[in-house]
Amino acid sequence: MTDYGHELQFGAFITPTAQPIRHAVDLAIVAEQVGLDLVTLQDHPYQPRYHDTWTLLSYIAAQTERIRLSGNVLNLPLRQPAVLARAAASLDLLSGGRFEMGIGAGGFWDAIEGMGGRRLTPGQSIDALDEAITIMRALWDTSVRSGVRISGEHYQVSGAKRGPAPAHEIGIWIGAYKPRILRLTGRVADGWMPSLSYLPGGPAALAEMNSHIDAGAAAAGREPQAIRRMLNIGGQFSAEGGGLLVGPPQQWADELSDLTLQYGISTFILTADDAGTMQLFAEEVAPRVREQVAAARSR
Amino acid sequence: MPTYDHRLEFGTFLTPSSSDPQQVVRLAQVSERLGYDLVTVQDHPANPALLDAWTLLAWIAGATERIHLSANVLNLPLRDPAMLARAAASLDALSGERVALGLGAGAVPEAIAAMGGRRLAPGAAVDALGEALDIIERLWDTSGRGNVTYHGAHYRLAGSGTPPGPAPRHTIPVWIGAQQPRMLRLIGRRADGWIVSHFSLQPGDLRRSNATIDAAARAAGRDPREIRRLLNILGVFSEQREGFLHGSAADWIADLTPLLLEEGIGTFILMSDDEATITRFAADVAPALRALADAALAHGAVGQRVRRAAARAQRMEGIDYDGLPTSLAQHAVEPGDVSYQRHRAGYMRGGSPGLILRAGSTQEVVDAVAFAQRHRDLPLSVRSGGHGISGRSTNRGGLILDVGRMNNIEVLDEAQRLVRIGPGARWMDVARELEPHGWALTSGDYGGVGVGGLATAAGIGFMARQHGLTIDHLVGVELVLADGSVARASATENPDLFWAVRGAGANFGIVTAFDFVVDAVGEVGWAHFVVDASNLRELLVQWGHIVETSPRDMTSFLLTTPARRGQPTVAHIMTMVDSNDPETIIERLTPLARIAPLYTQQVQILSYAEVMANAADVDHGAVGEPVGRSGLLRHITPEFATAASWMVMNRDIYWLQFRAMGGATSDVPADATAFAWRDAQFNVVGFGANRERLNQEWDALAHHLEGTYLSFETDQRPERLHDAFPPPTLGRLRSLKRRYDPTNLFRDNFNIDPNAADLPTPAPDAAVVVGTLQEGALA
Repeated sequence: MTDYGHELQFGAFITPTAQPIRHAVDLAIVAEQVGLDLVTLQDHPYQPRYHDTWTLLSYIAAQTERIRLSGNVLNLPLRQPAVLARAAASLDLLSGGRFEMGIGAGGFWDAIEGMGGRRLTPGQSIDALDEAITIMRALWDTSVRSGVRISGEHYQVSGAKRGPAPAHEIGIWIGAYKPRILRLTGRVADGWMPSLSYLPGGPAALAEMNSHIDAGAAAAGREPQAIRRMLNIGGQFSAEGGGLLVGPPQQWADELSDLTLQYGISTFILTADDAGTMQLFAEEVAPRVREQVAAARSR
Repeated sequence: MPTYDHRLEFGTFLTPSSSDPQQVVRLAQVSERLGYDLVTVQDHPANPALLDAWTLLAWIAGATERIHLSANVLNLPLRDPAMLARAAASLDALSGERVALGLGAGAVPEAIAAMGGRRLAPGAAVDALGEALDIIERLWDTSGRGNVTYHGAHYRLAGSGTPPGPAPRHTIPVWIGAQQPRMLRLIGRRADGWIVSHFSLQPGDLRRSNATIDAAARAAGRDPREIRRLLNILGVFSEQREGFLHGSAADWIADLTPLLLEEGIGTFILMSDDEATITRFAADVAPALRALADAALAHGAVGQRVRRAAARAQRMEGIDYDGLPTSLAQHAVEPGDVSYQRHRAGYMRGGSPGLILRAGSTQEVVDAVAFAQRHRDLPLSVRSGGHGISGRSTNRGGLILDVGRMNNIEVLDEAQRLVRIGPGARWMDVARELEPHGWALTSGDYGGVGVGGLATAAGIGFMARQHGLTIDHLVGVELVLADGSVARASATENPDLFWAVRGAGANFGIVTAFDFVVDAVGEVGWAHFVVDASNLRELLVQWGHIVETSPRDMTSFLLTTPARRGQPTVAHIMTMVDSNDPETIIERLTPLARIAPLYTQQVQILSYAEVMANAADVDHGAVGEPVGRSGLLRHITPEFATAASWMVMNRDIYWLQFRAMGGATSDVPADATAFAWRDAQFNVVGFGANRERLNQEWDALAHHLEGTYLSFETDQRPERLHDAFPPPTLGRLRSLKRRYDPTNLFRDNFNIDPNAADLPTPAPDAAVVVGTLQEGALA
């Protein structure tokens, strides 16, 4: 039983489909209207049926006012970290501090190589992510005057100027499942962004994964609370209950509250490609989860 | 003295300062408001004083509506070409075709290296740019099959490569910033534009560089006019003249005139972050230069669109592409254009037309009709929404007159509920626009269908029994006739033409505006039942009986398909009740719900617009030909139901649909419109895979059928014309066809040949005969 005590947030995971052209844009606007906190997009640049995620995030940011935005997660192997850092700072500045850096080590290496990226082993890709995060944080840190010099095994920066500083401290959220990258998440990240459907054995797997993150944090002298635990979820609203997140809103609220109180999940990101589901989630589920968790926490 | 015939354009070059990020956005919006064509920003990813150019361009796209966007220019060594190709295609789509790709080989190699980019010698950087262009072009080209692989010295798409796409919405021009001869030659061979800054040029450079580009273009088999010349200019407005672009507006005009008229500059890009300067230039300099271009250049400020040689190479024989009037040239789509792939096909039919004329106004339709008159040997298809079944809105090797851009929806008279709708609007758009007024116009069953095709045929929709056919709401049209004249037709203006347009419009002209009186419709009851159809025959008879005897406020459609392996046959019954009273809705639906075991049921109270919002906003990409037959029925008799069920069980059809008619559709006299089958209670449509088999089965049904609704008919045998129009109607249509289209220009959709053997002149009371045709009379 671990509840890290973070304030609850609710978001949407929207397919960045290229057709209809405004599918993701219009749904992001709906997400904002119904009161969700966050809109996120997957990033598979080798998939021509999708819009380029960065371009789409930037465009959505311009057409929304309040909602925060993140990749879920950005594909590091096809995005040069120093350029990405400045692009992220730019988007954060333009949007008034609404951008967060959800990022992953990459996984589909055939497709990545086919787009001109490097093929890395899973171990190398975690090292590369570690280096990229160091580079991004260094470029965002304008409190130091000297240029950034980092000669990693995978990325080198040799005297790049720092800045621009983002409008707010951009959170780095990592999509991770295996122990080593979970420890990296604990050591350097601000958030953890797994998907419920990828958890071996369902939510129970969260406990052990959390422990890897906590161990990584402890080894780096960080508090476990420094890392927000997020979860991509999918489900179906129906009158009759039929398993995890299949049922009426109250059932959803009970199940999500349980995930918060049991496993410390504080951000729920729903895969939703229609306005109705998004609205039910925002209006019928989120307030109940907030209420139930607040009640349990105050006990 | 080169001129390149480009449309004269003006742009701004804004500093994307990261210390005041909203300033550049605001100035981009100012540029748009002042009428500039283009906004550009520099790209130096190594410079933290600047915002990331791509992020900013995407943001500006989201914060503007009309102005085009480009980097000036992108730093290629820090921008991966495959990623860039997809990002640019995305931004082109999101922005509404407003993107140009300004590219450079990368200045300041030390700064690039400091960011982790590779350091290339100048020569290698040119090679890398050439490779990047290869990759970008290949990823944008979705006309072929298979993945794109690439093995260059600088870039590799390794292994099995990557699938091409998405294709940009329009041909994204590639503009390259350059000064050195090798780059200029690359531009001549490959690019769509050359960008250079005036302050970096020495006297004579412009002319020498243009000559280098032109020679390289010609050597590559290109027309130098394919390459736009864009010039970044820097200056100050002042009372006193103090030098080049430093003085009064008149001084600026004097300085820029030779660049326009003698050096072939097509785009002037003002480098300024000063709103007063940007405003002054737009007000006092740009209009004067446009006037000068109009006076002194062969194609004036409007210019001429010159396609790439590679695109021109895909042109088809026998089409006078270069003779297209300027009004149509800008939006016309040819086989070599990237947007051809999404314009070639319809919703149900593949095609490979030679030229798509996307008219945006009545005058452009007039121009397109004149162009079609000069190409009488080619197929001519007319397209509104592209859903045509009988209306073949695409073809092979011919012309398409596409009115999709004419999609205005305008309330003319609130009190009379009089609305003017363009032929290119789709019914989901119409429903959405009418809803806030508490209005609706019955259409078909699918929101993606275009207004033009449906509203010239009949329109059998979800409120047919209560509110009649779509054409019954028409009170007037504007249309372009075969001779290019523009006519109004209504009860008082060209009444016979107005009669013909309502049912046989495709034979008489291109309707450019429809005036409808729409209905006051609030929320409606909407039900979707999935019922067991194991006894399909019985189900059809019962459904038919319930529908016929129901009050008019209920209109129901039934669709059934052959059973999937191991599953029962089911029917989908979609029913609209024009009432928001739950009790009325339940009362109407209850008999339908009892008709057979229900698998699922969904009943909602919502707006007509919500029902019509059932089509995704995606491009048409059909291949092949639809095979469908249609008919009109007085009643669903047990005999007909038996035959129809047999076809479903035999899998000769893959879906069969019935639409309720009768009610208000039968209130209109048969001779009031060219759609004459006013006694029909049902429209039936069957689609199959094999034309011969479907025809065989359907022909055997003929004695049950009263006629056909041409919109769902794909059979081209001449008898179908007689099914679509009973004798008196056809006789009148043919004589009108002789008057309005004697040379038979409009012949693609159920052609009424003006020269066919004359039919007996209809008797004055012929309409009565229509109503009493005996079964079998048309067999």
